[in-house]
Amino acid sequence: MWFYIKLAWRNIFRNKRRTIITSIAIGIGLASLIFTAALMEGMINNMIQSATSSFLGQAQVHGGDFRETQDVEKTVNNLDQVTAELKQDPLVTNYTLRTLSMGMIASPANMNAALLVGVEPGSERFLSKIADTLQKGSFFDGANPRDMVIGSKLAEDLEVSPGDRVVATVSQAKTGDLAQEMFRISGIYQFGIKEMDSGLAFIRLKKAQQMLGIGDRVHQIAIKFKDIKTADMPGISFWKKYSRFDNEAVPWTILLPQMKAVLGMVDISLLIMAVILGCVVVFGIINSLFMSLYERMFEFAIMRAVGTRPAGLRKLIVLEAGALAVISIILGSALGMILTLIFAHSGIDYRGIEFAGTTFHELIHPVMNKWHYVVFPVGVLFFTMLVAIYPAWVAGRLRIATALRKSL
Amino acid sequence: MEKKIEKQVPIIVTENVKKTYEDNGVEVQAVRGVDLTISAGEFTAIVGPSGSGKTTFLNIISGLDTITSGRVLLNGKPLSEIKGSELSDFRRDHIGFIFQAYNLIPVLTVEENVEYIMLLQGIPKAERHKRVMEILADVGLREYAQRLPAKLSGGQQQRVAVARAMVSNPDLILADEPTANLDSKTGSELLDMMKELNEKKGMTFLFSTHDEMIMSRARRVITLKDGIIAADVLKK
Ligand SMILES: Nc1ncnc2c1ncn2[C@@H]1O[C@H](COP(=O)(O)OP(=O)(O)OP(=O)(O)O)[C@@H](O)[C@H]1O
Ligand SMILES: [Mg+2]
Repeated sequence: MWFYIKLAWRNIFRNKRRTIITSIAIGIGLASLIFTAALMEGMINNMIQSATSSFLGQAQVHGGDFRETQDVEKTVNNLDQVTAELKQDPLVTNYTLRTLSMGMIASPANMNAALLVGVEPGSERFLSKIADTLQKGSFFDGANPRDMVIGSKLAEDLEVSPGDRVVATVSQAKTGDLAQEMFRISGIYQFGIKEMDSGLAFIRLKKAQQMLGIGDRVHQIAIKFKDIKTADMPGISFWKKYSRFDNEAVPWTILLPQMKAVLGMVDISLLIMAVILGCVVVFGIINSLFMSLYERMFEFAIMRAVGTRPAGLRKLIVLEAGALAVISIILGSALGMILTLIFAHSGIDYRGIEFAGTTFHELIHPVMNKWHYVVFPVGVLFFTMLVAIYPAWVAGRLRIATALRKSL
Repeated sequence: MEKKIEKQVPIIVTENVKKTYEDNGVEVQAVRGVDLTISAGEFTAIVGPSGSGKTTFLNIISGLDTITSGRVLLNGKPLSEIKGSELSDFRRDHIGFIFQAYNLIPVLTVEENVEYIMLLQGIPKAERHKRVMEILADVGLREYAQRLPAKLSGGQQQRVAVARAMVSNPDLILADEPTANLDSKTGSELLDMMKELNEKKGMTFLFSTHDEMIMSRARRVITLKDGIIAADVLKK
């Protein structure tokens, strides 16, 4: 075996130019695969980032079945202990508390239903982008308990602008009695997502708790992790830990199943690309192998004549393909790494472009992932050698007498 | 040596061997019924005009080509009974080959080329090396062991081919026009060397040739004409 490896390695360097051209072609295929995978990973991070950082958070804790029922009575249980634990948790960078209740908002001109969200302005800034997307006014800058921040679409429907008054009506927990309060529009934001811009109204947490009659309790804790990938690890103990006390801790992958599906699509498109590039690579290799095969028929005939078995010749051809793949892999991995590093550094500007329902707000940075340098190269090696079975089979069937005659 | 021939230990026996090629629907009878016995220790030349079937005949007795009818026995064993990779192994163990030119694997050194057959036989490295060096000394190319074939003259390349053919002590060495690409002086030296190896080691040689020098050195000259034996002369 060792001997055939040696022979194969020397053979592919007989026609240096062809070997180099072929391996550059294969290498470019591999490099673009590596780069695409890195780009997709960067894009996914970006999408998750923008989906979770606008309002959702990377994970949420609710009380009991609040998610299904939206019942304002179902608040987070043992809130003090849960927040104390979150403060200590090494996985978590920030969290914020919210109340959520459906309500009516009425202006002199109009009346609209909206989700009334009670927020703590200080910690909310780390979890949502509302403060960053303000069009007019401010995000709870003063201390006025009657400030309300709404989306641009809702402001349009209500025909209000900062300074105008509105009245919010909610039904209280337990009793179901209606509670009504006057608010002053202090800020108008614009996310660029219709549901966000037309369906949400933010007020201070204290005020919301008071209106709803729920004391110090809240409906939702939104959480941000140190590493965005933490949310995609269903196996970790984090989820169990914060699902005690009849609470429910869920990652964004569950909160946004459609987003998760998009990521699945990204995987599939990467696979399709791998298959297409794979075919290009495969035909490049077959072509190169057959060219070198037909050139060396006489030599193979001599090898067969002096006692090489057909299997020996087949092994040689497959190993030559393997050697070609190894060179291509070195070239392709290096090229892929260089491309990834360059663009990881500078970032790619897709800002403002919408993809699968989310808009990119930041530069995309391709991600270096060591698995890309394992999976794709091993794939190239494997498929190259697999494809080489065909020319190897042809070589094994060589008619010795004919080949000896033809070439002299 | 003379004794060996007198004892007549047959290595190859062909019985009414025929070979017909189809060439674009036209049948070409390359060998038309050859009965022949080659015995151990012979130094025999097959001669004849171009197209008389010499190469075809050599290919047939080494199993490189199939026959249309008749029988070939090698060491008493019918060649037709050996199939597939067994036939490869059979050639490896029993027959040495020398072709007109380009005998060697260009990316292997002289030593590796000669070693190759022993490698196929699974002989340990130390012994391979020892035997390669011995045989290279026999053909006068010891110092060239690490060279690539391209760095050798045509005559030297043919000597390496002789060394490779002999290194595993085959029963028979087949040489299809081994001197055709050499000038007469180099050819004559190569032949002297082979003749000496034949006499010293009892190695059996069967040539096909147009070369007068081979004919004059051969002890037996078989003349083929249109695929049949026209003459078979044993010299004293
Ligand atoms: N594969 C083949 N297909 C068709 N005809 C063939 C084939 N091989 C050989 N022949 C024919 O068989 C005949 C014998 O050829 P062969 O090569 O054995 O002759 P030769 O004596 O070796 O000739 P030379 O001295 O030129 O080498 C020739 O007529 C040749 O054209
Ligand atoms: Mg011939």
